[in-house]
Amino acid sequence: MPQLYKSIKPFLLRFASMPLAIVLLMVLAIASMIGTVLLQNQEQADYLTQFGPVWYWVFRGLGLFDMYHAWWFIGLLGFLMTSLAFCLWHNVPRMLKEMRSRKVKLTDHAWKRMQHTHKLTLPDRDMEAVAGKVEKITGWQWLTYQEKGFTYLRGDRGRYHKWGYILVHSALLIVLIGGWMSVQFGFRGNMAVPEGGMESRISYVKGTGSESLDMPFKVRCNSFEINFFPTGAPKEFRSNLTIIDQGKEVLTSDIIVNEPLYYRGVRIYQASFGDGGSKIGLKLFRLDGSKRVDVVKSEVYKTYTDAESGISMEITDFKPFNVENMAAPGEPKKFQDIGPAVDFVLRGPGLKPVKVRSFMNPFIVNGQNQGSLMMISLTGDNRDFQSFFLGPDLTKPKEWELFHAFSKKSSGIADGGGIEVFKAAVSEVYGDKMPDDFRDVGIRTLQGMQMLPSLPWPFIPLLDDYDQVYYTGLQLARDPGMNVVWSGSALLVMGLCIMLYISHRKVWLVIEARERGMRIRVAGLANRNLMAFDSEFNDLLRDLEDNLGLSQQGASV
Amino acid sequence: MTAIALSGFFGTIQQGRVTHIRFWTYIGFFAGAAALAFFGDSGYDEDGFLIRFLSMQGVIWGGAGALLGLGLSFATGKSGQRSPSFIENSVPWLDGLLLMMLLMAAFTLLEPHEALISYEDQSNLISGRIVMAMNLLFLFSAVCYIMYLFAPESFIGKMATMAAWGGVYAGGTSLFLRWYESYLFLNGDIGHAPVSNLYEVFILLFCVTSSIYLTFERRYQAKAMGAFVMVLVSAGVFFGIWLDSIGQADIKPLVPALQSYWMKIHVPLNFVGYGSFAVACAAGMAWLFRERLERRGSASMLKIFPSLDQLDQLAYKAIAVGFPAFTLATILGAAWAAEAWGGYWSWDPKETWALIVWLFYGAYLHVRISHGWSGKTLAVWAVAGFLVTLFCFVGVNMYLSGLHSYGRLA
Repeated sequence: MPQLYKSIKPFLLRFASMPLAIVLLMVLAIASMIGTVLLQNQEQADYLTQFGPVWYWVFRGLGLFDMYHAWWFIGLLGFLMTSLAFCLWHNVPRMLKEMRSRKVKLTDHAWKRMQHTHKLTLPDRDMEAVAGKVEKITGWQWLTYQEKGFTYLRGDRGRYHKWGYILVHSALLIVLIGGWMSVQFGFRGNMAVPEGGMESRISYVKGTGSESLDMPFKVRCNSFEINFFPTGAPKEFRSNLTIIDQGKEVLTSDIIVNEPLYYRGVRIYQASFGDGGSKIGLKLFRLDGSKRVDVVKSEVYKTYTDAESGISMEITDFKPFNVENMAAPGEPKKFQDIGPAVDFVLRGPGLKPVKVRSFMNPFIVNGQNQGSLMMISLTGDNRDFQSFFLGPDLTKPKEWELFHAFSKKSSGIADGGGIEVFKAAVSEVYGDKMPDDFRDVGIRTLQGMQMLPSLPWPFIPLLDDYDQVYYTGLQLARDPGMNVVWSGSALLVMGLCIMLYISHRKVWLVIEARERGMRIRVAGLANRNLMAFDSEFNDLLRDLEDNLGLSQQGASV
Repeated sequence: MTAIALSGFFGTIQQGRVTHIRFWTYIGFFAGAAALAFFGDSGYDEDGFLIRFLSMQGVIWGGAGALLGLGLSFATGKSGQRSPSFIENSVPWLDGLLLMMLLMAAFTLLEPHEALISYEDQSNLISGRIVMAMNLLFLFSAVCYIMYLFAPESFIGKMATMAAWGGVYAGGTSLFLRWYESYLFLNGDIGHAPVSNLYEVFILLFCVTSSIYLTFERRYQAKAMGAFVMVLVSAGVFFGIWLDSIGQADIKPLVPALQSYWMKIHVPLNFVGYGSFAVACAAGMAWLFRERLERRGSASMLKIFPSLDQLDQLAYKAIAVGFPAFTLATILGAAWAAEAWGGYWSWDPKETWALIVWLFYGAYLHVRISHGWSGKTLAVWAVAGFLVTLFCFVGVNMYLSGLHSYGRLA
């Protein structure tokens, strides 16, 4: 064993050496940068399209898509831990010894290294009394030593400052150990619980894949709600959860962001939300001239197929509020909620698949009803939605009828028939009771005459009613290393403060008898913060002069 | 460059008995505020806390605490004795905060009529004008400090210092005022501390940087360094003006993740770190500048410059202030993350860059303390360190995504 120790000792010493630590810190810093530039834990398919097959496999082989858990990064951290451990092992005994040893005697050689020196002479020759008076100066830890007619005094301040180094380095080690414990014995994953539903399984990303884990209890989401600021920005996400452990309801509580729930070592966080399968009612306004309106029931995440035309609608999302800035560019912002909308992908024979956002309410801005609204994205990307004003306000059955009456009356007439034909159509639909917003109805109907025939679909799908169900996205985490990390962190800050703000300041007094009176030589040395030590040394000299009664006589040399 | 003792009026009120009394009164006030949060009528109501200090309730609780502290100071202090340096060093900062609060309270009286203020149009709020004054003061100060390098008249130097102090107080006051103003519309629904977006924290950064530098200037007579600090601050001022011009200066509601008392702790503490690193960077630049002057031998300017050794120490001192603050801020950020994001560390870009900054300055302290390096390498290191810090602060928000994305430009 000693043989082995001897042969590895040079390596161990190298571990403890400073340059290695600096290189290690810089390498870690540079390596960490990679993961901030390259987005971590994305879909593998996205990486493949982004980098092409060659680089994809190179990066994947290096673990760069989850680099903070890659073997080489963990290895670097392990290396740092080893280096820290050996640094402590190598330096702590020496430091403890240094802190204990306080040489009182000052050699002439040491005198030359002093940052501050000063000489005083005293008329009387009572060394003991002088030493006694010096020791009364507060704020310094004094030691006295006598040899060959000399009296030496040593004062220390901040003698334990080396604890700063020890604390900082061991604290970092503790933090890293805590981090390792978190990874090794903890978990962190997500679950989505629809309102009224129950879930006990979490899933999380590991490497390039996804894994899942069963919790020892079930989480039921009783309700989820979002509160909004008047600006339309979300103010609060709140889930009401019940924990069910072995068939019994043990705990019911609200959670919001920043206020997680704690149960059996597991923290449950409000992380996200989404549609949990809202019930959706759609109205299909047939465009075959039959005035037929079919009512269709479906759910978010389901696909409804219209048997008549073979067109399918895959419902992807539902939102009860859609707050938009209604101001023209350059004007002060003006937010308005334009009501519930459902998103679906519309596919059909001979049709290009498009994404449709269909609103329940007509679009009303500044009190003017501009008819039913629909948004269409040709790419399927939400950013590419374009507004289409259909014309008639289809929530009013009469306007649907008016559209048909007008198109029937005006068909075959070259210029569409003009105002007379329109008036006839209106009186056919409304009778004597004209609508109040007659002008707007007219504008909407004319818009409909242009818009509706140009639609490639045999019907207009509009949102009719809904019964909203959210899912709440929860994050569940257990972290047995967390308290270790906190204690390490506390030590780290303490250690840093000791290390940086407490300097070891040493002063020596050498008192020697002269023919008449005695001479006192004062010397001071500080390991850092020399500027502050300047004034501290001057303070000490002043205290000395006061205590020894020198200030009146002005006897300092 | 010894640490100079203050003389005159300011010297008297910042030492001895008066300081002792003030210190304990402040402590008493903070205790009263904490008691209000814990035991007050409606307890701690998140971000409305500042507003409650302006109400009767705040006056009663804080005032009672302050009176208790005042009494305590008479009970504990013996007259004529010197206070510990910790107290003497911290009281001026607390004084400054109090003065800013009082200025804020005074300016609230000048707020325009309710009808002129709305969420959509915040241009009439008075804090915007005070920020403009701050911008001008900082720019003027920078010009004076640069002039001082070429014409070291004490008059110019004094003007530079005064303008910088003026800027600090204008900035601090405008931030407090913004806090108050955030309650003026939408029924006070969106009120929050003014440390929630890039524009606000930039003002905070100017104030922290300048006041740390001004403290150094007063203590170590390093006036020639001011030109470098204030040029950095001025660059920031222009960035702030640009942010304002693209509509980033508006008070906006907080996203749910930011609605936490941690925000008021984590963010300002981080900026103590960033501000000190900025001062260290300026000291590093001054070091490099002086070295070049020495090689060229321009004696007139050298006279007013601190020596290379002093500049080296000033850079170290600034980092010694910033590093523990930054460490603590990062740890408290981790504590917040553990409460909001499900884990104390997520390798989010901002977190990772904070770690990179930490490692960078950690290595600086290593080579300096344990290896005794100094001089050019460390001067360059201090400057480079601030560039890394700057990327962590602004670059991550602008170029990288992640959990800290609310710092982005919207």
